[in-house]
Amino acid sequence: MADGDDQPTVLVVEDERALIELYVRWLENDFEVLTAEGGEAALEQFGEDVDVVLLDRLMPGMSGDEVLEAIRAQTSDCKVAMVTAVEPDFDVIDMGFDDYLTKPIEREELLETIDRLLSRSEFDSIEQELYALSSKQAALRASKPKEELDENEEFAELQARIDELQADLDTTLPEMGDDEFVAMVRDIEADDSGGESPDSEGGDQ
Amino acid sequence: MSYRTGDFDGASAFDDGVSLLITGPSTVTTEGLLDAVAPDDGERAVLITMNTGPKTIVKELERRGADRDQIGIIDCTNAETDVEGVPVRRLNSPGDLTGISLEFAKLLGQNDDESVRARVGVASVSTALMYTEPRTMFRFLHVFTARIRSGEMFGVFSLDPTMHDEKAYNTIRSVFDCEAEMTADDVSLSGTGYE
Repeated sequence: MADGDDQPTVLVVEDERALIELYVRWLENDFEVLTAEGGEAALEQFGEDVDVVLLDRLMPGMSGDEVLEAIRAQTSDCKVAMVTAVEPDFDVIDMGFDDYLTKPIEREELLETIDRLLSRSEFDSIEQELYALSSKQAALRASKPKEELDENEEFAELQARIDELQADLDTTLPEMGDDEFVAMVRDIEADDSGGESPDSEGGDQ
Repeated sequence: MSYRTGDFDGASAFDDGVSLLITGPSTVTTEGLLDAVAPDDGERAVLITMNTGPKTIVKELERRGADRDQIGIIDCTNAETDVEGVPVRRLNSPGDLTGISLEFAKLLGQNDDESVRARVGVASVSTALMYTEPRTMFRFLHVFTARIRSGEMFGVFSLDPTMHDEKAYNTIRSVFDCEAEMTADDVSLSGTGYE
C-alpha cells in the first residue's frame, strides 16, 4: 500500500509452492513481490497497489479464469499474465488477460513479459494525459484567434508538454506486436464503456 | 525505405511507419485515400471501410494498378458482398474497435514472412466517430498508429471536418504525423514524414 519505494508490485498466484519460490527468487531484486497459493488467497492479497498479476490458470479450488474475472470487476488498470499449460489460440485475447506464458517458464521470458506489461501501463497513462491536454488545447484553438494563441504562454506550455508526451509515447512501446495491439484496443474499449459488460447489449448497431 | 504515392502537394513518398490524415469532403478524401493506399509491387493494402462497399474498393484499387491478391478488406458497411479472390472480413459496426484490430491482425498475419510491406486505409474516421466517443477514438487511433509505426507500414485515414465540432477535429488531428487538406481541386500537405 505505502509507496515507500518505487518498485512495481507483482502478485504471483500459483498452487505449487516450489514454483512460487522460484519466481520470487527471479523477481525479488526488481519488484515488490506478493504471493498467493490459490485463487481465494489471491483475491485477499489483491489491491490497488498491484501492477502485474502472474496468474496460474489451472489451480484446485478457484481457477485462474475466475480470479481474472474478479480482478477485472474491480479494476482494468492492473495487467494480468496468465500462465497456461498449452499455448492458447490468438482469439483468447478476448478472454480478458493481457498476455500469457506457457509452462515451463524461463527466467528471461518472465522478466521480459513483466517489463512489457509495465510499459503498456505506462503507455496507457501517457495516452490518457495526452488526451486531456490535446482536448484542452483544441478547446483553446476553437475559442481564440491564432494571433492571440501565438503569444499565449499557457498555450505554449501546453504545446511543449504535448510534444514531450508524444515523444515518450513513441519510445515506450517501440516494438508493438499484433496480439499486444489487439489486447490494448480491447482494454481501451473496456475502460471507456464505463463498467458496462461488453456483451450485455448484442451487436445491433 | 518509403511508400511511393502519386503527387500530394509536391510530395511523392511517405516514410515507413508514417500515418497520414486526409481531410476534406468525403467524396474527395475517399479518392485521395485510394490513391495513397494503392499498393506497389511486393506490397499489400488493407482497407478498413465504413463508407464504401468492398466491390467498389476493389474496382478502384484495380484501376490504380493493384492485383486482387494484394488486397484485404475489413468491411463495416453491412454490404454483405463477396469479392472473388479478396479476403473480406465483416463486422457489424464501425464502432467495434476490438473486432477491427483482431481482423486486422489476422489479415496481416496470413503472411508468415516477418516484414510485410503494407498500406493501411481507414475510410473514414468520421463514420467511426458516429459510433464511438471521441476519447475512445483518440486512444484507439494512438494505439493503431503506434502499431503502424512499429510494423513500418503506411497508414492513411480520412476525415470530414464539417461533420465534427472544431474541438473534436483538432483533438483527433493531433494524433497523425501529417495531414493533407483536400478540396475538389487542391491539396495542401503539412507535418512530417514525407518527401
